[in-house]
Amino acid sequence: MKRLLKIIEAVRPTFEEGGKLRAFKPVFGALEHFFFAPSTTTIGAPHVRDPLDLKRLMSMVIISVVPSVLAAFYFFGLRFFLMIIVSYAAGLTVEAIFAMVRKEGINEGFFVTGILFPLILPPTLPLWMVAVGVAFGVFIGKELFGGTGRNVFNPALVGRCFLALAYPKTMSASWLEPSYQLTGRLFNYVNASNVDVISSATPLALAKQGELCSVSHLLLGSVSGSAGETSAIAIIIGGVFLLLTRVANWRTVVSILGSFALLGGLLHYALPETVGPVLWHLFAGGLLFGAFFMATDPVTSPTTNTGKWLYGILIGTVTVLIRNFTGYVEGVTFAILLGNITAPILDEIIFGIRLRRLAREG
Amino acid sequence: MLSGRPEGVVRFMPEPELLYLPLRSRRFVFSEVVVKDGQRVSNGDTLARDPDNYGVPLLSPRAGVVRLNKCENHIVLEEVAKDEEQVDMAKEELSHIERQMGAAGIKQYRLNVLGAWQFFYDAHTGALPDPLGTPQAIIVSTVSLEPFLARGDVQLHKRLSNFTRGLEQLQSLLEYQPIYLVLPDIKSEFANLIRNHIRGHALVKMVEIPLTYPYDDFSILARKLGLKRSAEPVWAVRTEGVLAVDRALTLSKPCLVRIVSIGGTGVNSPTHIKVMPGYPMQMIRDKYVFEPVARMINGGILTGELLGTEALGLDTECRGITILPELKDREFLGFIRPGWDRSCYAACYLSSLRERFSERFTTGLRGEGRPCISCSFCEEVCPAGIIPHLIHKYLYRDLIEEVEQARVDLCIECGLCSFVCPSKIDLVRQFIDAKRLIEQEKEEIRQERERQEKLRQEELARKSIEEGSE
Repeated sequence: MKRLLKIIEAVRPTFEEGGKLRAFKPVFGALEHFFFAPSTTTIGAPHVRDPLDLKRLMSMVIISVVPSVLAAFYFFGLRFFLMIIVSYAAGLTVEAIFAMVRKEGINEGFFVTGILFPLILPPTLPLWMVAVGVAFGVFIGKELFGGTGRNVFNPALVGRCFLALAYPKTMSASWLEPSYQLTGRLFNYVNASNVDVISSATPLALAKQGELCSVSHLLLGSVSGSAGETSAIAIIIGGVFLLLTRVANWRTVVSILGSFALLGGLLHYALPETVGPVLWHLFAGGLLFGAFFMATDPVTSPTTNTGKWLYGILIGTVTVLIRNFTGYVEGVTFAILLGNITAPILDEIIFGIRLRRLAREG
Repeated sequence: MLSGRPEGVVRFMPEPELLYLPLRSRRFVFSEVVVKDGQRVSNGDTLARDPDNYGVPLLSPRAGVVRLNKCENHIVLEEVAKDEEQVDMAKEELSHIERQMGAAGIKQYRLNVLGAWQFFYDAHTGALPDPLGTPQAIIVSTVSLEPFLARGDVQLHKRLSNFTRGLEQLQSLLEYQPIYLVLPDIKSEFANLIRNHIRGHALVKMVEIPLTYPYDDFSILARKLGLKRSAEPVWAVRTEGVLAVDRALTLSKPCLVRIVSIGGTGVNSPTHIKVMPGYPMQMIRDKYVFEPVARMINGGILTGELLGTEALGLDTECRGITILPELKDREFLGFIRPGWDRSCYAACYLSSLRERFSERFTTGLRGEGRPCISCSFCEEVCPAGIIPHLIHKYLYRDLIEEVEQARVDLCIECGLCSFVCPSKIDLVRQFIDAKRLIEQEKEEIRQERERQEKLRQEELARKSIEEGSE
């Protein structure tokens, strides 16, 4: 540990102003601060600060998706590990280039995008598509807006949306039927070429043809679907942890799931032919994953509490409508992106009301 | 809950041989020195005045010989001796003033001359109110919640009768305006005791506030009580101020010593001490500070000012000294540690599973500066009800008018938003700067308007003269 600190101190001058590698200062800074907390101190009041920083905040998200990642390993094989590595490598390159151009530190926000992105992809997607998707998402969805904190859209969802529109065939044909053996696919390496059980249909797609799989399969995750979204139980465990640590706001999650259940229930009662049962729909597809991990991103969701309720209701409603009344089988991605667009407007309205109330005070 | 909380006793410090009286404190600049170099003064004599703050005096806490040029920005008092002799105000002067101002006026004048007026605050602005003005109400606060300032209960210990007498004296300054007495629990035995003491004497309304920082802030209290900013000023005073009023008006004695807290994680035995202004910092440092590298703060941990090496003595407004160890060790892989040893605002550390414990704070920033991620923690903690992250974003885009509309002026500079910010943005510093900028702009506009008005008047006058001549 001490030796590492010494090495860091020794190479520091090369990255400082006037050093040979000064362009790579953000990379060096990110590595240094990965290992050691920064040595900066407060200037003036307040003299002490809360221990929470962005690294910690973001690592909470990564910890909370661990159950989903493990479930993905179990159901879809170790190839998923490669997808994570590719996603991190490609996205980090874009992030690092932008940090160097801007001469800012590498932002921790990317570490979340890098792990969330492979989790919402079909498990046998070609690796180059993972790389293209995440690079597009980080570049267009985040960096063009000015980096983490200033982006309008969730970068992972932008990447996925791009892939779904650019390569619709591959995206809808890369599903994988999970193995029903005890060890799952833990010891398998499956990609598009050596798949023995090709399944092009997720439960939602099958439901459109009138085949409903059982809720217990959805709960466990032994169905086909995007790598991290199938196992409802793993998502709920991680999601509840995220809510308890207050990194994600419970209002968003409750309003999405609540409005989804309410509207889905009403429609199921009115049109039992087209709309499936509520509980089944809640656990199917990417709804839970989107509600817990995607929509709760503090940057792209509204900041006001009222805004969060409205935002959640919008997402829940749009998801029900897209799933049941359009040609798409899954609508969570589009619903959340739509929510992201409205978030600043909702905030603007609510801030306006609050500022007017403040202005009346003497 | 922090370690370094001062214990509830008052200790005495040894008598100093030299006193270093700073000519500057948080609100005052004693620029008008009224003593000569080498002059012998006794305790209670006025050494200097602040002409911008209604002539608030800097009193000599002890008898001694004045040295003016020994240290910069300090009046040094040599051959310090405890002088029991009572200084009386000149009778002639008093009667002259009494004729001018009446009975209430003379009291307020006495408060100022005897050094009790400096304990008064304008609740909305925090500045010194006009000693000869009439308030719409007085807020008396017995709690001070910022860690680690002198606590009201410690100051009140054994002085309850003085306190109630002080309340009555305050009441005598007023005609019908109410006094709001702020207590943590208005049903407690202590509150009942006060109630019994002041029964029939004073019109005092008791107000209960939660024991959470910063609910003792005067402007928050004034807003809560519905006292308007546009009406007459609201006077606010803390426990020590009421005791000073009692001393000045009942006993006609100057207020020379005060109870100051010594707290913080860099102190070996956090406590309260009874000292006089000008007490040498070095003696406090020698006795209480054990950390080799420590930051001394004049005031609390969240709003206090840095005490540099140039500060040689305690200033007249000091309510507490906080000592924080400087950050020494850089934590290895800090963000993956469970963090049993720290408690944070969000429950992101497993320490939230533990019972309450005291954490050892240092001056570390504990993170890197990053752009705002709109987590809205600052909004949740803001006691003034404004939206810090929104104002921050306006400031980032230089939208000063929007900042003003977002009521940055309501900010009480409590520092909580900066404290909780995970992006380590120094929000409160930005707000203080923005407030100053807005004030400046307003002042400029006012001056410009005045100038134009003057020009117009001159023009009119010239025209009327011309017309007259025609």
